[in-house]
Amino acid sequence: MTAWLVRRLVASVAIVFAVVTFVFILIHAAPGEPCIGQTGEIPDPVVCAELKQQFGLDQPLPVQYWRYLVALAHGNLGYSFSHHRWVRDDLADTIPFTLQLAGAALLLDFLLGLGLGIYQAGRVNRVPDVLLGNATLFIYSLPTFWLALILLLVFAEKLGLFPVGGPNDPILCPVVDSLYCVADRIWHLALPATTLGLVGAAGTARFQRAAMLEVATQDYVRTARAKGVPERRVVLRHQLRNALLSFITRFGLAFPFLLTGAVLIETIFAWPGMGRLAAEAILARDYSVVTATALIASTVVVLGNLLADILLGVADPRLRVRHGSDADVVTA
Amino acid sequence: MPPRSRVAPFILLAVATLAGCERRGGCTGSNCGTIVMASIAEPATLLPPSSEDVVATDIDEQLFLKLADVGMSTNTVGDEDFQPLLAQRWEWDGPLTLVFHLDPRARWQDGQPVTAADVEFTFDAYTDSAVASPFRPKLRRVASVTQRDSLTAVFRFRERYPEMFYDAVYHMRILPAHLLRSIPREQWKTAPFGRQPVGDGPFRFVRWQSAQSIELAADSTFFLGRPGVRRLIWRFTPNLQVGVTQVIADEADVREQLVTPENVARARAAPQLTLYPFRGNVYTYLCFNLRANGDTSQPHPIFGDREVRRALTMAVDRAKLVKSALGDLGKVPPGPISSLLWIWDPEIRQLPYDTAHAARILNARGWRDHDGDGVRDKNGQPLAFRILVPTTSVLRQQYARLLQEQYRAIGVHVDIDAVEFAVVVQRVGSGNFDTAVLSRGNDPSPGSGITQSWTHGGFGGSNFGRYYNPEFERLVDRAIASPTRDQARRFWQAALETINADAPGVFLYSLENIAAVHKRIENVQIRPDSWAALLRTWRIPPDRLIDRDRVER
Repeated sequence: MTAWLVRRLVASVAIVFAVVTFVFILIHAAPGEPCIGQTGEIPDPVVCAELKQQFGLDQPLPVQYWRYLVALAHGNLGYSFSHHRWVRDDLADTIPFTLQLAGAALLLDFLLGLGLGIYQAGRVNRVPDVLLGNATLFIYSLPTFWLALILLLVFAEKLGLFPVGGPNDPILCPVVDSLYCVADRIWHLALPATTLGLVGAAGTARFQRAAMLEVATQDYVRTARAKGVPERRVVLRHQLRNALLSFITRFGLAFPFLLTGAVLIETIFAWPGMGRLAAEAILARDYSVVTATALIASTVVVLGNLLADILLGVADPRLRVRHGSDADVVTA
Repeated sequence: MPPRSRVAPFILLAVATLAGCERRGGCTGSNCGTIVMASIAEPATLLPPSSEDVVATDIDEQLFLKLADVGMSTNTVGDEDFQPLLAQRWEWDGPLTLVFHLDPRARWQDGQPVTAADVEFTFDAYTDSAVASPFRPKLRRVASVTQRDSLTAVFRFRERYPEMFYDAVYHMRILPAHLLRSIPREQWKTAPFGRQPVGDGPFRFVRWQSAQSIELAADSTFFLGRPGVRRLIWRFTPNLQVGVTQVIADEADVREQLVTPENVARARAAPQLTLYPFRGNVYTYLCFNLRANGDTSQPHPIFGDREVRRALTMAVDRAKLVKSALGDLGKVPPGPISSLLWIWDPEIRQLPYDTAHAARILNARGWRDHDGDGVRDKNGQPLAFRILVPTTSVLRQQYARLLQEQYRAIGVHVDIDAVEFAVVVQRVGSGNFDTAVLSRGNDPSPGSGITQSWTHGGFGGSNFGRYYNPEFERLVDRAIASPTRDQARRFWQAALETINADAPGVFLYSLENIAAVHKRIENVQIRPDSWAALLRTWRIPPDRLIDRDRVER
């Protein structure tokens, strides 16, 4: 198990390094002038050239890459020329917001998805199952940005039940320093988290339903029923527990979905997270921010999958043996 | 103890109740107001020499004073229309020397007095290449700034010209030398001062929450009088639609530019908003690249020919385009200027919309439809070009499509390259384009913008199409050197008619701004060159205060 874990960690580092290198080359190769900042005005090319020289962007790409790696080895993620500040400060400001959004969305995704999946599996091919199956398919098919815009239009602009955007009331709660402000944050989080979580929950429900049905035909489930174990106990103890393996796999796969979804959702709802930071940095060709956000995102995705694999091993002793015997872990 | 499943709804209810409650504060006086601006961009820094973007300028207006500022007339010639700020008074000491006497009451918000040493230090910083200030070129005719005594600053100019006073005061906000002197200039961009500034203006900095908001509080001891409201907040949103929606949903008080007729209609329907039109400072044009695409040493095969450029300008019905895309929000500019400039005059001679004449010119230049495919050609080459347009601007993309259609009608094939703004900047800056729909902002002086964008001095800079006509430059020089507005106006008119006749681009529209402001705000004065310049005079009467005005923290 330890050897397997070490190998996976080494592989994870290699994957992250490859992603960051790929992103570094790609963003530098992409056409576009890296000095537009946030102004939207065409800058004077002379000023642009001065700025590029100041930040070393006039150097050949291998030189820039080498400097980037040396800085990275020293824990320096670089300097954001569109924000005039260190990238670590940008990340320190934005990551907590992305974690809040992703955490809330993940919670909604799994609680709602799990519940619906179990409920449907218990009523397979009956009216509630068919209705919910079609509803979840419909929601799962919706583009996230479209759903976000509709929720924004209906619940914020038309009904005024939720704020239009932003993470808090800038007058009453510029910082979260009271219970009121915690509630205010939750209120502001409601629409973006619902958008992200709802689409995820629809997918989770379909996965969970299928997993529950697959387990339902297993001998140990039939045996439990034959022994007169109450249905509720059969479902929760025997069926659900074994069906959770697919749930854990989905947990690992949820990270990329949440991070990519967050880019759009944070932009639409003016949520000051890392996704919006990355989107703005790409448009501004703020290379240091783009590579730093790619580094963080790829690390989270790789670690999320690693965690899912470990949890699978914990949940299923058969996989634990395979971990020990160098077999690949089933993750899909 | 109730089972867990029954506790959950109560928790949710409590959260919902808390969120639904308004926390009422106690402020009830005449200076209680809070004004929230819905801003669609976040500044990079608030350090004035490095802050060129619009929002940074708006916020710096509240934090850092100039020596004096233009008045509502935006007259930049002479000094009679300027309003004193840090300088209590000034006098001319000979033709090239301007002496400012600082107001002894002026204080930095850390309690230190504002002195002539600050003025001297500021000029040195703005003109230091290590700071790389975008305002440096605008100060090139100021030779030096020195201090005569602690409250007297002396400006010496290299030459005599009508806008000497304007150049001395408009571009620089005075900086606190005692706080910045010890920081190496190369490190100014990263210095904490840029995100936690200490100023001398009517408002002081409170907090900057990245990607969320910037908050300022009124300085009740401000030497020119206490501001009318006690708090200003800029909320940052990633796009215009969210910003406009925030104002309509009463989550913000001001959206200073609505930009599109649809947004104006939405804002007009919101009962709590009042709309304030004011002159815009931006014009948009289809820039013709007079040099070959990607090779500035060769003339462009189409736009290198003045007659063809004239024909392509006459083929565009600019008035119709403005009407269909902007309605009352735009005007056809009489040259490369916005309606902000005092030289704006609809009587300035322009090329007419005349497709028959345009067709005759193209025929005469050999551009005919020889093969009957609907596209003119010459020596086997079709009369075809590409329009570069940024995807960030829906309006400019709409214009590109309308231009494409109008050109198609006279046998010109146009393809549209809608690309990211960063790509537009790169391609335009390096000359890799045929045409581009570009926007330029004007400061109140016609001299600086036109010189940068349309004279030989702008080659390699903002004269992206590389237009050059010695006669035009002679007229511009004479206009800039004219001692009175009336004399200058005649030369500007001649200069604009010259450039219009040369047709280095099609001057499409000048946006008229409309600001949406909450009705409870009174004394709303908007100076066209900088809408936020007079924010300190805005006020909210005690009987119109709403909850967010009263909140105490």
